[in-house]
Amino acid sequence: MHTVLRRLIQLIFVLAGICIITFLLVHMVPGDPARVIAGDRASPETIEAIRQRFGLDQPLWQQFVTYAGNLFTGDIGQSMRYKRPVVALIGQYVWPTLFLTGYVICLAVPPSIALAIASARRPGSLADQLIRFIGIAGMAIPVFWLGIMMSRFFGVGLGWFPVSGYGKTFADHLHHLFLPALSTAIWMVPVLVQSLRAALIEKASADFVVAARAQGAGEREIFWCTVLPNAILPTLNLFGVLVAFLIGGTIIVETVYAVPGLGTLMVNSLLARDYQVVQGLTLMFAVTTVAVTFLVDLLSAAIDPRARV
Amino acid sequence: MNGPVTPLVTGPLLDVIDVSVRFGNTRVLKNVSFQIMPGEIVGIAGESGSGKSTICRGAMGLLPSTAEVTGEVRFKDQALLGLGEADWAGLRGRDMAMIFQNPASHLNPLQKVGKQIAQPMIRHLGLSASEAWDKAVRLLEDVGIREPAMRAKSYPHELSGGMKQRVMIAAAISCAPRLLIADEPTTALDVTVQAKILELLKDLNRQRGLAIALISHDLGVLADICSRIMVMRHGEIVEQGEAGQIIDAPQHPYTRLLVDSQPGRKQFKAGWKQTEGQAPLLQVENLRVVFPGKRDIVDILRKRKPTPFAALDGVNLAIDAGETVGIVGESGSGKSTLARAIIRQNRPASGTVKLDGSPIERLAGRDLLELRRRVQMVFQNPYDSLNPRMTALETIAEPIWRHGMADRRSALSQASKLLDMVELPAALGERKPRQLSGGQCQRVGIARALALQPQVLIADEITSALDVTTQAQILELLARLRRERALTLVYISHDLFVVSSFCQRVYVFRSGRIVEQGAAADVLTSPKEAYTRELVASLHRLPRQVRESIEG
Amino acid sequence: MSMEAAPIQSSMKQPAVILSWSLIVAGSIVGIWIVLAIFAPFVAPYDPTAIDIVNALKGPSATHWFGTDQVGRDVLSRVIHGARIDLLMCLAGVLPPLFIGTTVGLLSGYYGGAVDTLLMRLYDLTAAFPFFVLVLAIVGVLGPGLLNFFVALAVVGWVTYARLVRAEVMAIRDSEYIQAAQCLGYSDRVVLLRHVLPNAFGPVVAYAVSDAVLVMLAGASFGFLGMGAQPPLAEWGVMISDGSRYIRQAWWICTFPGLAAISLGLGLAFLGDGLGQLRRGQVST
Repeated sequence: MHTVLRRLIQLIFVLAGICIITFLLVHMVPGDPARVIAGDRASPETIEAIRQRFGLDQPLWQQFVTYAGNLFTGDIGQSMRYKRPVVALIGQYVWPTLFLTGYVICLAVPPSIALAIASARRPGSLADQLIRFIGIAGMAIPVFWLGIMMSRFFGVGLGWFPVSGYGKTFADHLHHLFLPALSTAIWMVPVLVQSLRAALIEKASADFVVAARAQGAGEREIFWCTVLPNAILPTLNLFGVLVAFLIGGTIIVETVYAVPGLGTLMVNSLLARDYQVVQGLTLMFAVTTVAVTFLVDLLSAAIDPRARV
Repeated sequence: MNGPVTPLVTGPLLDVIDVSVRFGNTRVLKNVSFQIMPGEIVGIAGESGSGKSTICRGAMGLLPSTAEVTGEVRFKDQALLGLGEADWAGLRGRDMAMIFQNPASHLNPLQKVGKQIAQPMIRHLGLSASEAWDKAVRLLEDVGIREPAMRAKSYPHELSGGMKQRVMIAAAISCAPRLLIADEPTTALDVTVQAKILELLKDLNRQRGLAIALISHDLGVLADICSRIMVMRHGEIVEQGEAGQIIDAPQHPYTRLLVDSQPGRKQFKAGWKQTEGQAPLLQVENLRVVFPGKRDIVDILRKRKPTPFAALDGVNLAIDAGETVGIVGESGSGKSTLARAIIRQNRPASGTVKLDGSPIERLAGRDLLELRRRVQMVFQNPYDSLNPRMTALETIAEPIWRHGMADRRSALSQASKLLDMVELPAALGERKPRQLSGGQCQRVGIARALALQPQVLIADEITSALDVTTQAQILELLARLRRERALTLVYISHDLFVVSSFCQRVYVFRSGRIVEQGAAADVLTSPKEAYTRELVASLHRLPRQVRESIEG
Repeated sequence: MSMEAAPIQSSMKQPAVILSWSLIVAGSIVGIWIVLAIFAPFVAPYDPTAIDIVNALKGPSATHWFGTDQVGRDVLSRVIHGARIDLLMCLAGVLPPLFIGTTVGLLSGYYGGAVDTLLMRLYDLTAAFPFFVLVLAIVGVLGPGLLNFFVALAVVGWVTYARLVRAEVMAIRDSEYIQAAQCLGYSDRVVLLRHVLPNAFGPVVAYAVSDAVLVMLAGASFGFLGMGAQPPLAEWGVMISDGSRYIRQAWWICTFPGLAAISLGLGLAFLGDGLGQLRRGQVST
């Protein structure tokens, strides 16, 4: 209980910090923020209007108070390009990204666990060396390049999968997002395998495993009841970090495959200098990461009694 | 579940015949043969690297797969080597069980201890989970844990070291095995806890006819509870026989060395100085060192006060120039905090440490450097106390040139003299710590501390990580150095035997306070306070103390 | 007692030979790329920016081994010149955060106190943002370009190094050889630079090498998204981005820079892994 409370309070501080950083982000823009928001070709009148509307003539701290107040009411900004609230934009673009993220996790987690177990069963064996090699190599492949190559080969060449878009029905989604999900998963699997493999090997030689063996436990029982639960913990903590990486990965992959998701929205807004959208998205990505990390912490506390003190 | 007390089996329970073990090209066990009879306690003695753990793990089939084992191991006439996985699993925990040196790391941190004790019974005896749990609670009571029903629901990290070892024992005896292999079961525990665990093992042996193979580096412990002892060195059994014979009339020279090296067998009186009522050199007055309690944000919000922990609480002591004073205490008694306070690494909350009558707390600049030159320290862990990236010679020379006592070149030549003084061959000077043995590292540490020619030398558990024979050599070296250099020594140890054979006076510490002080011989032979009496009673002394003194 | 286990452990570590092999191979790959980058003008058969519309979109041949791009520039020459940019990215993206982070981590880990608390909160905060998103947002706001990419990396990346060094330093700080150094009266500067830093630096170097992979891939991704290096600069990400529009007719424009990036990435990744293994092996024996 104590731990949960402490984490909750920490969470509040981190969230406050996130607000400050996203707020300052837009204020880092070189030049007059009103001009930046209005765009290069805006007339002086428009710029003045924007300055009034966003309170850009006020001192910085007042602007922040306004910004934070708006956040509480659920207003995270206004898109210049789409002339719509950022919240509405996110509501429109979020689904393909969510679908893609879930898809990636489904594609990446089962093979990761299988490969890690196969590798850790006999460390140093040929299979292990191979998996280790692939694990390190996988991290060196640029995701966007892999995406382009796969869309050329499976999409354009063989015509098995569409190379862009999102589709309309659930089956359509599965079909459309297969290549994007696969390219991201190929890059994510190695990271997961490496961590889980290392944890499995470490725990397999732990003293309590020797003790279990000395008490007559069979190898199968030892693996499933003793080694695996202990090895899951460090990987679980890594998972929070991985979600952050996953968000970064989807941004690129969505751009490559023209998936109408948050990543595409982010890149287009950056290129169009639609800063309030960038700000809103950054805020949302950060809040998501923090939430996932929090959930992971709760989950490890449920597994590990030592984390419950 | 009480087994028959006197079994009718006449043959040996465990018969190890000509067993050798090798890892790759290194032979760690050479043609070892011995027997364990039903209901007897056999001691296996040896120093690190002697192969005493290897033989027992080999008998349990617990060696890693890279080990090549040859020879024959029979348990109740069943050949063990070459058994399949399932046969082994049926045997381990059921007929033969094992407990280990470090109970903390041998318990699964994610499971309640009750469940961990219940598991072997579910596995071997076919009990249901709830039956096994109930039995686990009763076993916890048997091994002397109070409130067993509540403790069964605890996780390992909530128990003390002694309780964890009791849990390990409860799990090991749960299926009434015939043989218990105990691999240094008390080495990681404090002496008073060690005494209780050994008592428990003796009870189990008497009441259940449990045969025990007790592995230990401590001959005193083995002599106390074993009927037979075998002594191992370099993977061979050099001698085995009745416990009395091994201790009193050792045949093999190595056994003799081992017996003579046991703490308390020799008196190191060289360099003891009679003090003639001059003002004490080092004074500790009313010293109190407090570590602030941890308080996180939730505690602050709930207005909880942090609970500071007083590691030292009103300690007074005075040490004369040239004296050797021992500080004895169990873990957490504050003895290392005292050492750190004297070298100014712990700031006192109140009270003071005085050297030659002047407090050291406010020293700065030149005066502080002067203090550094006068008071030096040798540390506990031989490998951790040397910078792994520097050679032995560089380590010893560094203080000399950094203090401007010589330039770097002549500092190195002084360092090689110091190396010679601590009886290390010059060739070792170019080695880095991980290429040295524990005892050699400790000698380098001593040489480094003496490089500044200090008056006072603090030795904090400097032999506790070493083998007994190495410990004896280091003590001998230290005794010679204190005589040659007229050192004032503060010797800190958990081992009352070592302290009383090496020091003139002793302070006994407990929970940050001094409970007893006096001449070393008096404290050991006629302790006054209850705690000291308990401490002395927990010691395992070899019968027939051979007292021998080396006078300079 | 712990020493008793030593022979068992050391004899269990057998893959050492294979490891050093992979280290040699990885080192040579990285080495070759460095040599190519340094001598690019002499090695490259053509000027990487020379436009030759007549020979645009020609496939690999004896005259153009890797083919030509949409305006007839030689892909091989551009790949070789691209190594300069991408290797520079590794250096300029890794060294500033490494330097800032090590300094801060060393001080905060050794002294603790308020600075340390502040650093940890700062780390929590930075870790709250997905790395790629934060760098992307900063670059987007400052304006696309390589320089701003490096600035963003330094702003975001130093915290990871600081945390890594801090953890190492805190473990070393309590070790007895540091206590001994303090007890011998060495100044803080000597203790920190001569005793703490050399022993804390190993993991940082290993991490920096694998970080270089990350930075290179991020840099290429930024080039691809149009936020990093700007065309017509020969950078592998930019080349892939350019080529992706012609992927149906001319696969080679995209493929070769990608393979170049993979080979350099592999070299660095295995180098980092090997260094890490080597260090761990040293520690445990």
